[in-house]
Amino acid sequence: MDVSVITSNFKFLILQGLIGIGPFIGGTLRLAIPAILLGFVLGIFVGLARLAQAPWIRMPATMYVEFFRGVPLVMVIFWIWFIIPQLLRLPIPEYGVALTAFVIFEAAYFGEIVRAGVQSVPRGQVEAATALGMTGTKTMAYVVLPQALKNMVPSLVTQMIVLFKDTSLASIIGYVDLTKAAQIVNNREIKPFQIYIFIAIVYWLCTYSMSVFARRLERRAA
Amino acid sequence: MEATFAVLLALALALSSAAPALAQPDTLEKIKSSGVLTIGTRTGSPPFAYINKNNEWVGFSIDLVEMLVKPSVEKAVGRSIKIEKKESTPPTRIPLLTNNSVDLIAGTMTDTPQRRESVDFSLTFFYTGAQFLVKKGSPIKGINDIAGKRIAAQQGATNAKILREKYPQAQLREFPDQPAAFQALVQGQVDAYTNDGIQLYGLKAKAPNPNDWEVVGDFYSEEPYGMAMRKGDTKFKAAVDAGLKNGFESGKYFEIYDKWFGPKGELPYPMTPQVKAYLLKQIGK
Amino acid sequence: MNYTFKWSVLWTGESGRWLLQGLLTTLELSALAWVLAVALGILAGALRTVRFTPLRWAATSYVEFFRNVPLLVWMFFWYFGVPPLLPRGIQDWLFNHGAEFWAGMLALGVYHGARISEVIRSGIQSIPRTQFEASVAMGLTTFQSYRLIILPVALRLIVPPATNESLNLLKNSSVALTISVAELTFQTRQIETYTAKAIEALTAGTLIYLVLCLSIATIMAKVERRYAIPGLIARVGPAA
Repeated sequence: MDVSVITSNFKFLILQGLIGIGPFIGGTLRLAIPAILLGFVLGIFVGLARLAQAPWIRMPATMYVEFFRGVPLVMVIFWIWFIIPQLLRLPIPEYGVALTAFVIFEAAYFGEIVRAGVQSVPRGQVEAATALGMTGTKTMAYVVLPQALKNMVPSLVTQMIVLFKDTSLASIIGYVDLTKAAQIVNNREIKPFQIYIFIAIVYWLCTYSMSVFARRLERRAA
Repeated sequence: MEATFAVLLALALALSSAAPALAQPDTLEKIKSSGVLTIGTRTGSPPFAYINKNNEWVGFSIDLVEMLVKPSVEKAVGRSIKIEKKESTPPTRIPLLTNNSVDLIAGTMTDTPQRRESVDFSLTFFYTGAQFLVKKGSPIKGINDIAGKRIAAQQGATNAKILREKYPQAQLREFPDQPAAFQALVQGQVDAYTNDGIQLYGLKAKAPNPNDWEVVGDFYSEEPYGMAMRKGDTKFKAAVDAGLKNGFESGKYFEIYDKWFGPKGELPYPMTPQVKAYLLKQIGK
Repeated sequence: MNYTFKWSVLWTGESGRWLLQGLLTTLELSALAWVLAVALGILAGALRTVRFTPLRWAATSYVEFFRNVPLLVWMFFWYFGVPPLLPRGIQDWLFNHGAEFWAGMLALGVYHGARISEVIRSGIQSIPRTQFEASVAMGLTTFQSYRLIILPVALRLIVPPATNESLNLLKNSSVALTISVAELTFQTRQIETYTAKAIEALTAGTLIYLVLCLSIATIMAKVERRYAIPGLIARVGPAA
C-alpha cells in the first residue's frame, strides 16, 4: 500500500484541513468549536422557549424545532448558501454560511436535549424553590438548570460529536475542511482508498477523544 | 404538522411580496467600499484554475484576473484592491454570481446566447471546442461513436446539455465537477469524459499516467470562454473589458498565454492563427 | 432583492419529472439502506450484550469505528475507494448498474447500522437480566432466547428512538448527492441549475422532506401506542 500520498500531503491535510491554518478558508476545528458553542447557547434559549407558559413564545419555538428536525442539513446549507446573500444583498463567506447553517440547525437538537433535561428535574425542586420565595427566573437559573445540566451531559456530548461530524458537509460549499482537503489531494493524485481511510482515522481519533472526555465528565458528575 | 405548513406558506408569501427592488447592480461601488474583488473560479481544471502539487491555487484564468483585470478595476475605483477566490463549479457559478457571493466568474465558462439571458460576458479570452477523453485504444473516436456508451459530463455544462438534447442515445452521467467525472473515467465507470478540448488536454497532462489517455474527436461544439458578471453591470463590464483589451494590445495577454500554453508552459498548446485573429478581431484589430 | 419569482418552473418542463424521480430514488435508497442498517443493527446490538468476548469485541469495533466517522467520508470511501479493489467482473457489473446508488446504499446502511445497534443495545439492556436467565433455565440456547424472548420485547421498547434513527437515515440520504446519486436534493439542485430559480426549487424539496418526515413520525407514533407493552417503560437514550 503506497502511503506516500499521505506523508507528502500530511501537513496540508492536518494544518489546513483539520485546524484551518493555511492559504485557504477552512479548518474543521475552526468551524466546529464555535458552532458547538453557539449552537448550544441558542439551543438553551430554544429549549427553554419550548417550556414557556406563553403560547406566543412556545409555538414559534415548537415550529422551529419541528421544522429543522424534518429537513436534511444539506438542504439547510443550500438555503443559507443561495438565499441569504440574495436577501441581504451582501456576499457571505463560506465560513459564515457554514457556521450559520450549523448553528441554527443544531440549536433545534440541542433545544430538545435542554428541554428533556429540564423536564427530568423533579417537580418537587421547583415547588420547594417557590416555597422559599424564589422568582421564576431565579428558580430556573439557580435550581433547575444546574441540575438539568448534570442530566444532560451524556446527550449533550453525543450531539456535539454529531455536530463535529456534520462539519464535513461544509466541504460541499467549498469550505476547505478536512474532507475537502482530502478531496483536493485526491482529485490530483487519485488514491482514494488511502486518503479516505486516513481522514476516517483522523475523524475517529477526534470523536473518540470527545467521547472518552464525556465518560470522564459523567463519572465526575455522578 | 399544519402549523409548520402554515409557517412555510407565510414565509413563501412574504418572500414573494417583498417588493423586488430593481436597483441596477453596481459592483464597482461595492469594490470601492470593500476593497475586495471576489472571483469564482475552479479548483480542478488545469491549467485554467486548479490546485497544484504545492497545494497552491493557480491558473491561466486566475493570472488573467490578477494581471489584466485587477489593474483596470483599480484604475476605475481609484484604490488598490485585493482579489479573493471562491470555488465555483458549472452547476453553482451562476447562482453564486446572482446572489452576490462572487463578483466575477473567471474559469472555464463558455459564452453562449442562452447564458447571456442571465449574465453578461466579458471579451472572449480563450477559444476551444468540445471533445472526448478516453482510455488509449478505446473504440470511441468522436461524437458519432457514443451511442449506447456511458459518457461523463459536468452537471450544468454546455456539453452536458448538448448530449442530453441532441444525443439521447448516449448514456449521459452528470457529475458535480471535473475531478469527479475524471475519477469515474479512471475507474472505468464511464467510457468517455466530454468537456472542452483544452481542459481535456490539461487533465491528461496532469494525470498520474498521461500516456494512458487520449483526446479524440473533432470539435462538436464551439466554446468561446468569457468571464461572467451580473447582468446590467455596465461600468464593471467596461472595466473588465478594458483590462482584457489592454492585455491584447500591449501583448501582456500573449505573455500570460505563453506562460501556461507555450512550449515551456504547463500545457504546450500553440495558439492557431485563426484563434489569434478571432481574439484580436474582438477589439477591432 | 433582484429576484423574479416563477413558481411555474416547478411543474412545467422537466422539473416535475425530476422531482418525482428524485423522490423515488430517495425512498428506494433509504428503504434498502434501512433494511441493511436494521439487520446490521440487530446483529451488532445483540452481539454487544453476549458474554462471548471475541464476538462482542468485533461488534464493538464495528460500531465504534463506523459511527464516529462522518457519513460523507464513508460515501467517498465506498464510491471511490472500494471499487478499484474489487475483481474486474464485479466492477464492470457495478458500473453498468448504477455503482453510485449501491455505494450510497452501503455507506448509508453500514453507517446507520452502527447507530441503530446502539439503540437496540439499550433496548436489550433495559430488559431485566432475569428474563434471559429464566429462558436459559427453561432450556433455550442463547440464540433461541434472543430470538424468541429478548429481541421481540426489545424491538417493541425502542420504537421512539428507532423511529428517530430511521428518520435520520432518510434525511442523511441527501448526502448521497455528493457521489452523484440523483436523489431528491440532487434534483432540486438540477432544477435550480437549469432554471436559475433557487427559491422555488429549494422550497419544493424542503416541503417534500417535511411532509415525508412528519408523516412517518405520525405513523410511528401510532405504531408505538399500538405495540406498547403495558408496565414496561424503558428509558432508552438516543444514539450518537
